[in-house]
Amino acid sequence: MRTFGRHSILVRSAVMLLGSFFLAGAVTISISLAFTSARQHQAATDRLNRLLDTVESTVRIACFVQDEKLADEVAQGLLKNKEVQSVTISSEDGRARRLLSDSRHGLITSGLRLAREVRSPFNAEKVIGRIQVDANTTAIADDIHDEVRFITLEIIGQLVLIALTVVAVMLVFIVRPIKAMSDGLHRMDATKGERLAVPRNHANSEIGRLVHDINGLAGNLVDTLDQERTLRLDKEVEEKKYHSIFENAETGIFIVDQAENLPSWNPAFALLLGIPTNEVYQGTLNIRQLPWENASRIVEMALNCRLDNIGLSDDLAIRLRNGSRRWLSVVLTPVGEDLLQGVVHDVTEHKEAEASARRLSVTDALTGMANRLGLEEELQAMLRDPLIAQTGGFALVLADLDNFRRINEGFGLPTGDAILRGAATRLGRCVKGSDTLARLTDDRFALILQSVTGSEEAGRIAERILASIRKPFPVDDAQIQIHASLGITLYPKDGADIPGLLRNAELALDRAKTMGGNGFVFFDPALTEAAEQRRHQENDLRQAIQNREFRLYFQPIVDLADNRLAGAEALIRWLQPEQGLIPPDAFIPLAEKIGLIDEIGLWVLDAACAQLAGWQAQGLDRYLSVNISAHQIPDGLPPAALADAVRRHGVDPARMALEITEGVLLADVNKALTWIEAAHGLGFRIYLDDFGTGYSSLSYLKRFPVDTIKVDKSFVGDMGEDGGDRTLVEAVVAMARSLGMSVVAEGVETAGQLDLLRAMNCRYGQGYYFSRPVPAEQFEAAAVRIDKMLAGRVEAPA
Amino acid sequence: MSITTTLLLTLCLILLPRARAEADLVVVVNARNGIERLTLDSVINIFMGRYRQLPSGIPAQPVDQPDGRPEKARFYRLLVNKDLAEINAYWARLIFSGRTSPPYQAKSTAEILDRLARQPGAIAYIERNQADPRVRIVLELEH
Repeated sequence: MRTFGRHSILVRSAVMLLGSFFLAGAVTISISLAFTSARQHQAATDRLNRLLDTVESTVRIACFVQDEKLADEVAQGLLKNKEVQSVTISSEDGRARRLLSDSRHGLITSGLRLAREVRSPFNAEKVIGRIQVDANTTAIADDIHDEVRFITLEIIGQLVLIALTVVAVMLVFIVRPIKAMSDGLHRMDATKGERLAVPRNHANSEIGRLVHDINGLAGNLVDTLDQERTLRLDKEVEEKKYHSIFENAETGIFIVDQAENLPSWNPAFALLLGIPTNEVYQGTLNIRQLPWENASRIVEMALNCRLDNIGLSDDLAIRLRNGSRRWLSVVLTPVGEDLLQGVVHDVTEHKEAEASARRLSVTDALTGMANRLGLEEELQAMLRDPLIAQTGGFALVLADLDNFRRINEGFGLPTGDAILRGAATRLGRCVKGSDTLARLTDDRFALILQSVTGSEEAGRIAERILASIRKPFPVDDAQIQIHASLGITLYPKDGADIPGLLRNAELALDRAKTMGGNGFVFFDPALTEAAEQRRHQENDLRQAIQNREFRLYFQPIVDLADNRLAGAEALIRWLQPEQGLIPPDAFIPLAEKIGLIDEIGLWVLDAACAQLAGWQAQGLDRYLSVNISAHQIPDGLPPAALADAVRRHGVDPARMALEITEGVLLADVNKALTWIEAAHGLGFRIYLDDFGTGYSSLSYLKRFPVDTIKVDKSFVGDMGEDGGDRTLVEAVVAMARSLGMSVVAEGVETAGQLDLLRAMNCRYGQGYYFSRPVPAEQFEAAAVRIDKMLAGRVEAPA
Repeated sequence: MSITTTLLLTLCLILLPRARAEADLVVVVNARNGIERLTLDSVINIFMGRYRQLPSGIPAQPVDQPDGRPEKARFYRLLVNKDLAEINAYWARLIFSGRTSPPYQAKSTAEILDRLARQPGAIAYIERNQADPRVRIVLELEH
């Protein structure tokens, strides 16, 4: 139990009570004193007045007759009253004053004096004397003192009683319960669920409510404490987790403050940057002190990161103490409070792989030269070079090996590659060391000739290159000869930008190729015009398909043995609205180049089938041959499309001949063979067109199911003058016969040729001698005329 | 004169003075002492014992009517508006001191007149019709 200290409520209250009671008592007593004194004086005055009243008539008489003795008697009578201390009686009659009596007890001690005029007993208006009484104030004071003392005692008694009551009440109703609560609170452990007990008889009092409130508060506090503890634990776990991640991450993590210092980083970062762990520097490490190759980059990054408040990333190189160079991917992210968080990965391998890939991407694997990308980069670099204006430009040469595909097909890819490498080496010898060599595609090379600005110099170099390539390549035991074509552009004359230069060089190369190869062509604006024209033609050709501008012409083929019309070759014509009729030589190569040949070929097949169906319907025993482009085989005109066409028109495939050229066989022999066999299997006849102009390989004739050979008109036309050609045609006819094939002689223009052919036992003939190609509507007329001619040896029209 | 007339006159005589006496009381002094008039206050002072001296310097010797005479009561009533009991009480208080005394009380009107004649300081009150040449009226007490 604690005692009631100086600051206890009880003691304070008691002190306050006593103080206020003392003050109240003092005030009350002072007021009582004043009142009592006043009252006592008044009472004394009243008593004296009453006393004087009793003696008034006697005094009047004494004064009237100026009787001293009577006055003395009166005075003595008054003095018998202990409150009267002195009495003075005097008379006056208008002239003189006479003291009648002056009696007293001792000295006059107070100022309480009563004086009265004495009037005549017979005339109340007339003053005849004076009586003066001094009161004994000592006696009055004693009275007052007695009374005040009594009041004082009474008040003190009451106040003490009240004070004791108040203290007792406070003790019982306030201090004890509070003390009990206080002691209870001291012993109480709220976290164990303990709560204060309500003091007895205080269930509904303010103390009781206070206890409930305290208990409620304790409950809330305990709950809050619990939540707080849980949160703190969670947070600690979280922090440990993140700390662990931070410490153990293989990624370098660091923080940059506003002064570009690093307050902290993780071990991985220390390892990556080759710096000690965190504690050594205590946040004094500036980001510039790290071994960046270019520290301004990271500082600039940090600055931009702050300015724009966005994350930035970049790959930065560092140079470690051991001299090795590493690439780091650095990501800076603002994380608030002017701090940046940096994340660092070692991307050196990545970078090296990238660089390697990059080298590869600009390098040709076969020759080790630049590839097309490398060439373009080099060109870009040169065009960017401010010195290019001083050196005056350069020459860009495209070189293409003529008919290189045949080498691959004939000798195999390894041989082809060996030749490409050899050609690359030779090209390298033809140019200066500072020039650039590149291989663009299979057999196409590009050369950048530094400081070559004039066509003369370029021409000399071109000649040198051509000569160099022309020398035979020793492959295995063989010597392979090959030519090249060159297209030359001069910068800046022939093009100010890379695509323009390359395009123009290609145009020149194309021209060189079309001129037969083994030569060089300088770019000429006319080439552009031609290309432009070709593009127009392409558009027109596409339009032609849509607008159905193609027509089929038919040239009769005559059976020389039976002297009858055997059939016809269908020949396509383009009825161009502006230019009129255009022969196939003028547009088929273009159609082949731009992929329109497939569509055109299908149309031709369809139209031919329709014509053949017409003849069939008329009971005419004729066959019809159509030209199949090498580009249509095998996918442009699949065997299924062939079968579909004849089925739709109901024609006999045996009456339909497909004319292919030897070029078909050059592309992909196996695929071509498959296609031809499939077509042959469907019943179509296979004609080998233009025989003699190409390789005319006997092995092809044996391998392919060819039904008929068409001898090119150039041989037939020269038969009359050239014995060699006649022999050749004879040989072909003989060979075909031996292989079980027929022969169609093309370009029969004279009766002499006809006779020669008949003499050779050539079965079929075709040419202007019989008829030019005619539209379908004129064909019957031509047929009639040919019949007449064969029957009656009528001269053919000129 | 007839008896009837005499009776009537006697009746008148008996009755008339009585009527007049009620009307007129006068204060008289010795005719020779030279005093012509006295004020009411002077008369009160002399009769009530304040100053026993006449203006001429002669000691005043006031004389009262005998007890039982109506003039005495009337006189004090007129003089100080008091009845005789009050006058007696007044004198009772003064008797012991001996400084003054009540007026001499005569045994009859004749004695009053006699004293007036004999004593120069005598002063008394009588009915007007009782006055004779020896006395002089110095104050008339009337209502």
